[in-house]
Amino acid sequence: MSRNPRCPGFASAFNRRDFLQRSSMGFGWLAYQGLAQQWASAATHFTPRAKRVIFLFMDGGVSHVDSFDPKPELAKRHGQQAVWRADALSQGTSGNRKWLRNLWDFKQRGQSGLWVSDLFPHIARVADELCVIRSLVGESPLHGAQALLLHTGRTVGAAPSLGSWLSYGLGAVHEQLPGYVLLNNDWIPNGGFQNFASSFLPANHQATMVRARGTPVDNIDRASPAPVQRAMLELLSEQDGAIRNHEIAAHMQTAVPELCDIQGETAATRRLYGVDRPSDFERFYALQCLRARRLIEAGVRFVEVTCPLTHNNNAPWDQHGQLKLRHEENARITDQPVAALITDLKARGLLDETLVVWAGEMGRTPHSTGSDGRDHHVSGYTIFLAGGGIKGGMTFGATDEMGMSAVEDRVDIHDIHATILHQLGLDHERLIFRFGGRDMRLTDVHGRVLTEIVS
Amino acid sequence: MRIAFMLFILGVALPLHASDAGVDFFEKKIRPALVDHCYKCHSADAKKLKGGLRLDLKAGWQLGGDSGKPAVVPGKPEESPLIRAIRHDNADEAMPPNQSKLPAYVIADFVAWVKMGAPDPRDGNVEIKRVKQDWETIYAERLKWWSLQPLAVKPPPKVAGARNDVDRFLFAALAAKGLKPAAEADRRTLARRLSFALTGLPPTIETVDRFLADTSPTAYEALVQTLLASPHFGERWARHWMDVVHYADTHGYEWDTPAKHAWRYRDYLIRAFNDDVPFDRMILEQLAGDLISPRLHDGANEALIGPMALRLGERRHGDSAQVEGVTQETMANIIDTVSKGFLATTVACAQCHDHKLDAVGQRDYYALAGVFMSTRWGVRPLEAVDVNEAVIAELRPLKQRIRGELAKRWLGTRDELIAKLQALPVQDKPGFPETYAALYQRMRKAPIKFQDYLEERQRRVEANNANLKLLADFTVANGAKDWHWEGAGMKHGLVREGEIVIAETGDMALSQILPAGRWSHAWSPRLAGALRSPLLEGVPALSLGFAGGKHVGQSFILDHAFHSERMKFLNQPNVGWLTLSANKFDTLEGSIDKMPRRVYLELATKSLNNYFPPRTGYGGVTESDAADPRSWFGLTRVYAHPVGKPPIDMLARFAPLLAGQSDPATKLATALLAAVERWGRDACRAEDVLLLDEALRAGWLANDLKSESLAKLVAEYRTLEKKLEPERTVGSVSEWNEARNERIGIRGSYTDFGAEVPRGNIRFLGGPVSLKNPHSSGRLELAQSIASPNNPLTARVYVNRVWLHLFGEGLVRTPDDFGHLGQAPTHPELLDYLADRFLREGWSTKKLVTFLVTSAAWRQSSAMSKEAYAVDPENRLLHHMPMRRLEAEAIRDALLAVSGRLDPQLFGPPIDPYRTAEDAAKRLLRGPLDGNGRRSIYTKMTLMEPPRFLALFNQPIPRLTVGKRDVSDVPDQALALLNDPFVLAMAKHWSERELKVARSAEQRIAAMFTAAFARPPSGAESARLMKFLARSAELRGASLQAPIVWQDLAHALINMREFIYVP
Repeated sequence: MSRNPRCPGFASAFNRRDFLQRSSMGFGWLAYQGLAQQWASAATHFTPRAKRVIFLFMDGGVSHVDSFDPKPELAKRHGQQAVWRADALSQGTSGNRKWLRNLWDFKQRGQSGLWVSDLFPHIARVADELCVIRSLVGESPLHGAQALLLHTGRTVGAAPSLGSWLSYGLGAVHEQLPGYVLLNNDWIPNGGFQNFASSFLPANHQATMVRARGTPVDNIDRASPAPVQRAMLELLSEQDGAIRNHEIAAHMQTAVPELCDIQGETAATRRLYGVDRPSDFERFYALQCLRARRLIEAGVRFVEVTCPLTHNNNAPWDQHGQLKLRHEENARITDQPVAALITDLKARGLLDETLVVWAGEMGRTPHSTGSDGRDHHVSGYTIFLAGGGIKGGMTFGATDEMGMSAVEDRVDIHDIHATILHQLGLDHERLIFRFGGRDMRLTDVHGRVLTEIVS
Repeated sequence: MRIAFMLFILGVALPLHASDAGVDFFEKKIRPALVDHCYKCHSADAKKLKGGLRLDLKAGWQLGGDSGKPAVVPGKPEESPLIRAIRHDNADEAMPPNQSKLPAYVIADFVAWVKMGAPDPRDGNVEIKRVKQDWETIYAERLKWWSLQPLAVKPPPKVAGARNDVDRFLFAALAAKGLKPAAEADRRTLARRLSFALTGLPPTIETVDRFLADTSPTAYEALVQTLLASPHFGERWARHWMDVVHYADTHGYEWDTPAKHAWRYRDYLIRAFNDDVPFDRMILEQLAGDLISPRLHDGANEALIGPMALRLGERRHGDSAQVEGVTQETMANIIDTVSKGFLATTVACAQCHDHKLDAVGQRDYYALAGVFMSTRWGVRPLEAVDVNEAVIAELRPLKQRIRGELAKRWLGTRDELIAKLQALPVQDKPGFPETYAALYQRMRKAPIKFQDYLEERQRRVEANNANLKLLADFTVANGAKDWHWEGAGMKHGLVREGEIVIAETGDMALSQILPAGRWSHAWSPRLAGALRSPLLEGVPALSLGFAGGKHVGQSFILDHAFHSERMKFLNQPNVGWLTLSANKFDTLEGSIDKMPRRVYLELATKSLNNYFPPRTGYGGVTESDAADPRSWFGLTRVYAHPVGKPPIDMLARFAPLLAGQSDPATKLATALLAAVERWGRDACRAEDVLLLDEALRAGWLANDLKSESLAKLVAEYRTLEKKLEPERTVGSVSEWNEARNERIGIRGSYTDFGAEVPRGNIRFLGGPVSLKNPHSSGRLELAQSIASPNNPLTARVYVNRVWLHLFGEGLVRTPDDFGHLGQAPTHPELLDYLADRFLREGWSTKKLVTFLVTSAAWRQSSAMSKEAYAVDPENRLLHHMPMRRLEAEAIRDALLAVSGRLDPQLFGPPIDPYRTAEDAAKRLLRGPLDGNGRRSIYTKMTLMEPPRFLALFNQPIPRLTVGKRDVSDVPDQALALLNDPFVLAMAKHWSERELKVARSAEQRIAAMFTAAFARPPSGAESARLMKFLARSAELRGASLQAPIVWQDLAHALINMREFIYVP
């Protein structure tokens, strides 16, 4: 099979959303709230089920057969020579590879009886909220290609990010609202900043980065004492007249740190997310998840949280070796805050209108050349969605008995993108932008809304 | 129902001619399914017929869709595309699209129906109306598009107030709308506008003063000439072109690997614009610089640097046999860049189908792909003048003298030698010994019969004769045949038997005695070498007489991959056979399929290796390995042979040891000293080298520097060797006359092919041309047709780009698309006039720039009248000069220049941008906050994380051609001007510098204001700034002379709108 970047060609219907193009510009809105008129809420194609997305990027590829896709057959044939279907897209389709059993036990959870392994004990407790998709199929078993595919719908980095498309498509709740915020954990995933970039969409739709450590946003710390800066702004105002950007910028210096500051959260909430846990990695990831909630409450359309890299590796979840140690470490960092986020959103009545997407760019091979590592695998792996009008407590699709290839309800990234857009009231075939002689789409010429999982 | 059920069961047995029962089955089972699942897209009622296939008529599936093959083959479900599609055999062709499969029983019905011969009563007289219009008709129609017509040059209209013909066209258009141009801007404004437009830097106060003082009528023209002659002109205009070719110093993706010496291309552009190299020449150089006459600068061939233009942007590691599409994606990017950059045509739109709107067929895409797929992406040495010949001429006699010294010493050690040999232990290993030591040790145990030796030798000679086919012989000057070597090391590395390699350091004289061959390290391991094979076809295995070290790379390059991960670093300092086999080299092991590929072998020292340094960690290369300039290898001969039958030692050298009766040690010593004697007078034989090299390594021959005269000679050699200059290299291209045509990828597929397309040009530029060499890629011919004055697009597109950089908008406002989705020119006659003038003036950028900036239109004020706004709010008619925000680089450069921190030095390796966090694994390193004061063009463009300060002000991410940058105006930029540490550092630097000059506060404010804005402050402005100064002093509790107060003032000036805007 071969795929390549394709185009939808030229659509005669002119479906421009130009009036929204310049609408989101970083964090300026915080300072601008008092001044701005309520921005006309999104010109969606149809009534949206969700208002916003929180994307938890599990960078490097969580092992599906160790987390959400139990394969008892693997345990039975543990240590036997692995054989696979011709359509398996994974690393190491030759050589001496043996089936490797799940390293964590699976249990059925919640009312729904959804299978979640002991790798994710906290997420297991919100099982009834999850729609686990076990049949995702990617294009090539490489981090860079898959990370870009997951973010931009293309394996080569030259297309806008999903978050940028949503920012472009929906506009902002307030004129100055950032459409897309990246809560980074001091690590740039494979594919680079293109994962979060607006590409040919207007530059203001690229992700605004909030760092976990230190100053959260570039240049947000005031370089001069406040009164001196105020005097300077007065001078600028006399000199230049309207200095709106400078005024907004000045206000951002207090507003952004306030938004990023979680001191005002209750002790119970802080405990729920685990912002006071022992390691920096744990604390910072929890902090970013809590900030994610604060940001969507403030009206941000698309918030993405990345994982930290705890050790020298190509990506955090990329365990060719040390699977047990590092998957557990990554789970220790992310499991509790992710579950807390879902619990917290639910408690606040926000989950129904907030689509939570938990996804890595790949899964991991059910076979191995050793006993404590798995390689890249994209012909059938697992992600989950929660909230945002998606059915909870269900699984969709299936891989074969060994967890190698999706055999039931095969889904590709374009389908996930189409479904996300659909939940936000956008038709993936009509959300277009003219560039380079074509009308470009996030889903290119692909994509199907997974109506089966929509509640 | 019952009949249908039975038919289903009995389907196979039914006769092929349709029975009534068959029709009944069709009506009951098939027609409803077709209506439900297929008619939406495949019938006369389809809103848009998909794939040209109709399924509402028998003739529809008989004729098939765009593929031209029947959709159903009666009786043969396995051969029927319809069945394969509904079974989802191939995900790309799965039907219905983007849905789950039809229910199994429906699919079974279709299979049964086909097996029974596909009875279908819907045959009437209805003709299939092909919705798809014939491409030739469409093409002929699209050829009428404005940008594809020859230039239509008309005389300029007659108008008043014009300075040159630019104005005549513009003002006539304004007059037609009842508008007038704006008045001329004041001189200070013009000086600042000109300085930024031509050099990207603010004018110095002296430049402005000189201009103001010049009362001659040509003062303005003189200023233009001064700025055109500034070396900074090239920096400014190179940067514009770098947006088109999406310049970056790295390749992004997963590891951000370096773009091999890309900065030499940036420097090349700067020189080319400064030297006003005609643009047609620049086109030829960038597309085919390897195939045209060299253009020399500082001893290097500039033309060879040009093709870096084709290589820039995101490039993945690996090749298309490891990961599908790696090469094709690269090709798509190159075709996109070339067609947009030079022709403002979106050929990449035609990768999967004919262009939807423009006169570009899918064949055009594959014609270009054939050209670029037949191009090798090697690193090339640039030296056109050999700077090392003189040094080598001095080294050569030194080597002779060292050799003479050693020969003299060794000839005098016969007794010592015999003693050493006699002390060797006795050994008994099976097989015929292959070293002198082993043979000697064997002979002491049990003498080998001379007859046995002769038989063994004969057997080996016969085996080699039977198995080996000589592919290349590097022991003679012209023996390489179709293998090509490059690099100064190889050029000077052809040596005779017994050449010595002087140890670089340490207390030994020699590191090696070499056999005849070509050795890159014969004079110095810092000289470069590369060897590349022709495409390997029908060769099961290869053996190369080889030695190499210091991370010499050996790689199979497959389908012209940029960064082949089949690369290995070899460390084999002793000469021996390097045997490589793959059964079939064109389908290397580990491939995702068995498609034949283009494969060649490359051996390259570091500076000629495309993938060096590789991604961090690859091949165990450390950063200090990467920084070590040494790397070497060499070759004797290359043989092809069957797998498992490499060359074997023919043992000829052992004859003297086996014949005769004397003591073996004596015989060996005698043989060795005879070899030394011959070696001493440079009459060495191949066998001698094997003996000498073994003796040297075994320590039988003393190689130390205890002799004073020898030590002196070696020291002299080592000193002189350091004067050898390693050549400059750059990622470029090469033509091997091994071209193949590409086949059309069906719907853009990488594995499903249609007809072969002759490689060549886009059809509307002439299509395939006869190639001077029928096996060449056609890249030269392509370049020539693009650089042709008869090409309707090239000159128009380039002139429009220059216009855009000077006027803020192009005459065509979509500079990368002159097709149907682009905008029409606002002034078509002016565009054609300028294009024609540009051609007549020898494609001179400087003349074009001069012509435009000396027009009255360009000298207009940026003040706009209400009347003009009412008629033409977008300023399409240019009734005033638009106010422009400076580009990212100009903002940063202005900060450096105004603050006095600018280091005006040109050229050189890039400087890492400042970052808050580093990522060593991706070589995303933190550079100095102020970039050492160098202009922004010298900041390293790391694709994976581009420089943030520049990105904030809309420097584009360098992945795609950007002819026109975004200009955003957002609070993040204000935040940077308020708080960015670089901005603060510049304010500090500026104020400290100003405080060194003793003057009053008013005077100092005036000086700083003038430096920033090329005009003195008005009385009100001066008072305003004095007030702020006082306020800052008060708030900070500091005096009016305090540096921090002046830093605040400098900071305030930087934040004024005028700092980053040019009226």
